[in-house]
Amino acid sequence: MKHDDSTILNKYGKDSGFKVPENYFEDFNKKMAEMLPDVEITPVDIKPTMWQRIKPLAYMAAMFAGVWCMMSVFSHFTNPNDMSSVRAVAEKLEDNNSNVEEFIMSGSVSDYDIMSYEDSVMMSNEDVSLPDNQ
Amino acid sequence: MAAREKYDEAQVVEQLHDPKLCKVAFGKVIEHYSSQLYWQIRRLVIDHDDANDVLQNTFLKAWTSIDNFRGDAKLSTWLYKIAINESITFVNKKKVMNQLSIDDDDSFLVNQLESDEWFDGDQAQINLQKAIATLPEKQRLVFNLRYYDEMKYDEMSEILGTSEGALKASYHHAVKKIEQLLGETE
Repeated sequence: MKHDDSTILNKYGKDSGFKVPENYFEDFNKKMAEMLPDVEITPVDIKPTMWQRIKPLAYMAAMFAGVWCMMSVFSHFTNPNDMSSVRAVAEKLEDNNSNVEEFIMSGSVSDYDIMSYEDSVMMSNEDVSLPDNQ
Repeated sequence: MAAREKYDEAQVVEQLHDPKLCKVAFGKVIEHYSSQLYWQIRRLVIDHDDANDVLQNTFLKAWTSIDNFRGDAKLSTWLYKIAINESITFVNKKKVMNQLSIDDDDSFLVNQLESDEWFDGDQAQINLQKAIATLPEKQRLVFNLRYYDEMKYDEMSEILGTSEGALKASYHHAVKKIEQLLGETE
């Protein structure tokens, strides 16, 4: 439907061929304004809508809310008296570091160490089971 | 030349209801809308002098009934409505004067176009105007508003009091009829 008129448009364009005398609109506007008769106008207060009335208050409230949020976030990270959150973050980081160290350490255990550990476990199991057989 | 003052519709509408400022405000309305209303009227009545008379009547009618305009609708919608009603009334009167029926199409308006001082179009443009003039009144209005003024359907719907769907259908039918008529002319 959008290009419905494309055949006419391509062939005839939008110029209808109608013309007006030179300065027609300037002259018309002037003459028309002069010929307006006196009429009685009843003064009317055009009532603004509810939204138009509360709009400035809503904008101001939103602005204050924004400023308050920014201030609270800013003070949360910069208040020297409230270090609990900073400490918690530091402890968490330390925990992570110890895990990493354990992981690195596990890399240094050789196959021999693992096999001898397994043997020792088996031996101890056998020692435990002996009294049952007797 | 003095710089033209910026047109602020909300301010102008407010001033139109102030007895001290209403005349000056209406002057601004005339300045802002005279051209777009003129072209809409001209496409309906065809002749420049007739369009001039109808445009004057449109503004006079708007001015004398300005107290009824409460700003519920857009000022442009209100003015377009008056202009279209005035144009239709004028064309119907002219039909009566030419001893034609009100139900006849408006193609008689285009007959004098070739000799019109304020028309410098070619034969193709005359044929297009003749084809538009044969359309039923509503289709003619819709075609002019959409094709020449590129008016949106929602705005047109407010002016003509018809649903957008019906207006789209009218435009579609108008285009098809014009294409058919122009095909026959060639």
